[in-house]
Amino acid sequence: MSKELRTYRRLPLLALSGVMLLGATALSPAPAHAGKADDTLTFALEQEVEAVNFYQSTSRDGVILSRLIWDTLIYRDPESGAYEPGLATSWKWVDATTIDFDLRQGVTFQNGEPFDADDVVFTLSYFPSPEAKVKSRESVAWIDHAEKLGQYKVRLFLKAPFPAALEFLASPLPIYPKDYYQKVGAEGMEAAPVGTGPYKVTKIVKGESITFERNPNYYKDSPKGEPQIGHIVMRTIPDKNTQLAELMTGGVDWIWKVDKDQAESLRAMPQLTVKDAETMRIGYLTFDAAGKAGPSPLTNVKVRQAIAHAINRQSIVDNLFAGGARVVDTACFPEQFGCDQTVKHYDYDPALAKKLLAEAGYPDGFEIQLNGYRNRDLAEAMVGDLAKVGIKATLNYGKYAAIRDMIRSGKSKMAFMTWGSNSIGDVSASTSVFFTGGADDTYGDAEVKAELDKGDTSTDPAVRKEAYSKALHRIADQAYWLPLWSYPYTYAYTSDLNFTPTSDEIPHFAQASWK
Amino acid sequence: MSESPVTTETAGAEAPAPLGPWARMRRRSLRHGSVLFGGFLLLAFVAIALTAPLLAPHDPYAQDLTKRLIDPVWSAKGSWAHPLGTDQLGRDYLSRMLYGSRVSLIIGLVAMTISGLIGTAMGVAAGYFGGRVDHVVNFVVTTRLSMPVILVALAVVAIAGSSLVVVVLVLGFLLWDRFAVVMRSATRQVRDLEYVTAAEALGMSVWRIVLSEILPNVLGALIVIATLEMAHAILLEAALSFLGLGVQPPTPSWGLMVSEGRKVMFFKSWLITIPGAALFLLVLAINLLGDGLRDVMAPEGRG
Amino acid sequence: MLGFLVKRLALALLVAVTVSVVGFVLLRASGDIAVAIAGEGATETDIQAVRQQYGFDRPLPVQYVEWLGKTLSGDLGRSVYFNVPVAQLIAERLPVTLLLGALSLVFALALSIPLGVVAALRPNSLLDHAALWLAVFGQAMPSFWFALLLILVLGVWGRLLPISGTGSLLNYVMPAIALGYYATPAIMRLTRAGMVEVLGSDYIRTARAKGLRTGKVLFKHALRNAVIPVVSLAAVQFGFMLSGSIVIESIFALPGVGQLAWISLQRSDFTVVQGIVLMLSVIYILLALLADLFNAWLDPRIRVA
Repeated sequence: MSKELRTYRRLPLLALSGVMLLGATALSPAPAHAGKADDTLTFALEQEVEAVNFYQSTSRDGVILSRLIWDTLIYRDPESGAYEPGLATSWKWVDATTIDFDLRQGVTFQNGEPFDADDVVFTLSYFPSPEAKVKSRESVAWIDHAEKLGQYKVRLFLKAPFPAALEFLASPLPIYPKDYYQKVGAEGMEAAPVGTGPYKVTKIVKGESITFERNPNYYKDSPKGEPQIGHIVMRTIPDKNTQLAELMTGGVDWIWKVDKDQAESLRAMPQLTVKDAETMRIGYLTFDAAGKAGPSPLTNVKVRQAIAHAINRQSIVDNLFAGGARVVDTACFPEQFGCDQTVKHYDYDPALAKKLLAEAGYPDGFEIQLNGYRNRDLAEAMVGDLAKVGIKATLNYGKYAAIRDMIRSGKSKMAFMTWGSNSIGDVSASTSVFFTGGADDTYGDAEVKAELDKGDTSTDPAVRKEAYSKALHRIADQAYWLPLWSYPYTYAYTSDLNFTPTSDEIPHFAQASWK
Repeated sequence: MSESPVTTETAGAEAPAPLGPWARMRRRSLRHGSVLFGGFLLLAFVAIALTAPLLAPHDPYAQDLTKRLIDPVWSAKGSWAHPLGTDQLGRDYLSRMLYGSRVSLIIGLVAMTISGLIGTAMGVAAGYFGGRVDHVVNFVVTTRLSMPVILVALAVVAIAGSSLVVVVLVLGFLLWDRFAVVMRSATRQVRDLEYVTAAEALGMSVWRIVLSEILPNVLGALIVIATLEMAHAILLEAALSFLGLGVQPPTPSWGLMVSEGRKVMFFKSWLITIPGAALFLLVLAINLLGDGLRDVMAPEGRG
Repeated sequence: MLGFLVKRLALALLVAVTVSVVGFVLLRASGDIAVAIAGEGATETDIQAVRQQYGFDRPLPVQYVEWLGKTLSGDLGRSVYFNVPVAQLIAERLPVTLLLGALSLVFALALSIPLGVVAALRPNSLLDHAALWLAVFGQAMPSFWFALLLILVLGVWGRLLPISGTGSLLNYVMPAIALGYYATPAIMRLTRAGMVEVLGSDYIRTARAKGLRTGKVLFKHALRNAVIPVVSLAAVQFGFMLSGSIVIESIFALPGVGQLAWISLQRSDFTVVQGIVLMLSVIYILLALLADLFNAWLDPRIRVA
């Protein structure tokens, strides 16, 4: 038996050496190490974009990629907010529905195709048409068509007066190469995207990564500047924690939306830089004030106000955000046009909250479901605060679409949501979305709607401001929403990198460089 | 994520031993280390769950944002005020751990009971009646086995909304397959025994025969499967909670605690090692007990 | 044999159809798909347009029959998120999942068969007990937790292995361990049980009595016979591993079908989830069928059952 045993003792050893051999052979194609040493910036995103072809995508991550591959007619400086020449060197409003553009000369697409009026006319006429099946209709719906006035001159016709036209031309409308697109179609553009932008796509591994290479022929006077870094790799890593592990071990160079506690520990690491930057996103609690989801205490304004007084927003901002967040009192982002900050502020005052609850007939509180889709820790903190005044809230977390659907169809009594206004700096992109009788308006307040409509349609800034102010005051007084806080993003990246976070929720990698 | 390895092995090995005298079994189990160890450990968990309100130094739900992520007592900055430190919301980790045992045990027990009832009913019916009933049960079991458990559970929870009740029900309705398989073969063997045929001849109703003659004879196999499935349910609940579609906060579930703690696991690793280890120990205890019982009840040692 | 084959095939087919109905109903019941497709910031008109474009406004049975017909012709529909055929998405990602499953199985077999053999050779010895303990430990370990510990210890602290992605085969080591160890206990026990049985059988005793060398006896006769049931168990375990890959692939950022399923579920991309459920089920059904046929071929008694 001892002889047998010897043989069989060797078995696991054999197996082990087999596994090691396997590992050794795998060692040879060692993954390209990210970082300054080989001039490759690797950044991680949670979600895979639905399409690299920009017009087939609605995600914010798609915007990040589009800024690398393509350019737009107009460039909006993310820091100053000023509009600067992009592919158009100048533009002029002919009337309320017509804009003329002079185009930049000497620009070529990454495949060598020269850029001129044909490309602009094609982009601005084809994509607004229904046959293009653009995924984000609102980006193009306001455009009627474009006409060529000369090789470098284009006239754009709008369907109706649209104050935000320049804003849109500066963002969701990258200019496509006409000949290439007509030859390869949407599928071809997806497989091998071509633009005028500072980086060109060299490799796409589905679900895992997209590799970019600096465009050596990028036009010199671009407001984006000359691209500095040789290669950029976008990696999809769905688990935030895994992203962090990769950052700490040098597998990736850049991550964002870092959690507070992670940020604190990362700040202590010399090889990493951690920065906070505010965004236009705000968090809010929405209450079923109209009782669409059946009778509930929340139809009573005193109860809603009690909740506003019960939640210690400042403490949550101070303790659970990495930095750069602030308490918001308005149903819009404070820096948006028309977002009047003189509205009612609800102090943290649990005693007052209890008193209001008692007045409303709920001295012992009540039970309620709090729906939400992100930042569970923040929701939990609010649940904890509510418990202190006797309101027993239970969390129901779901996907964004499901929770938004619940609210719209009147099945949610209270929900914790966020809104990013698509990075548009105007109240019409925030408050008006929720209070003007659309699908998201569950409050049905005619007074608020009337004021917002007035603000949305007027062209006189003073009139708009006054109308929005009235609406915002009423929303705050009635506590239809409890606006909570702004959402800063916390970025963590290798200290070798020069990178400037901006408030538009879009990291601009084309402007990054190595130290 | 852990799929139940429903195998010919489990099915075959659990063939019911004719129930020996209890005295002999007790002697054997006393000798059997794993039954003792597993049983003791499980008892300890049950005791903790029952006395959690007495043992817990704090309210497991009481948050204090100024006392977040305090280190445990064994680290330099820890103190006995919070022996296991606090979590991201400043809640006492020890208290949450203690209360967490209730969630795991309740889910394990209830899900096991539901799946046990469904699986036993199907298995006994298939084994007793044979023929068409057997075919139908076989078909249902095969169908259930071919569905990816995690994905289906996730989908159902996503539809029904996640709460303790939903999770228990989903697990209960998904994990009956092993009960059915084992009970079927166990019943088949008992069915042809003399006293069952005798009872039939005496005109006893099917229900009475099943309850009074068959069930007691397959009890051994039943207990073994029950422990395995309870362990399985606990692991699945933890996995669902880890993915955010199981028990909802602020309920202290160990799976959820791992999920919440992993944000800072590279800096404060105890936040995931403690609840993970507790899960591991609980499942280990239940499995050891089940394994041991199987050996004790099998005629010739384990096999 | 032919009768058995036909019966077994019919069962497999019936099961596949049932699974498809269950999957279809389950996933369609979960929320408004049109809202999900339209995305954040969509208006009611957008959503209505999506509803019509995808035909979500028709009755469920009609949608099912149409879906089944297409499925049988290999068309699994289009992903509402990616707007590409689901079959294409799955085809792109299946290799990663299959490789992960295969490596996990290799890991499980490499660990469990030697252990099982050793345990069988010396029943109730220290080695036997150690093997059993290892098995029990493995079964009790929550695999998501195990995966995190691997990342923590081997990835971040030790910096021994790459953490995520599919850069090289090394990237698969941690995921394969995290996924494979769970199958180890079952395979080990089966190997051990098989070995114990075979070693006690008449022909091995005869072989030994005839003076054949023990090593040869063990390898040529005992192990081979003991491993036969392991093959069918391994086939089934492989099926389980594919569905267990959901969490593991997400944690290790492996772009396989498991990760695709989980993410698609989160963003209500139901055609994809449905396609994956169906595919995993069919793979399992096929593996189980093969295992059964294999057994029947080896053991004629089964054929009549």
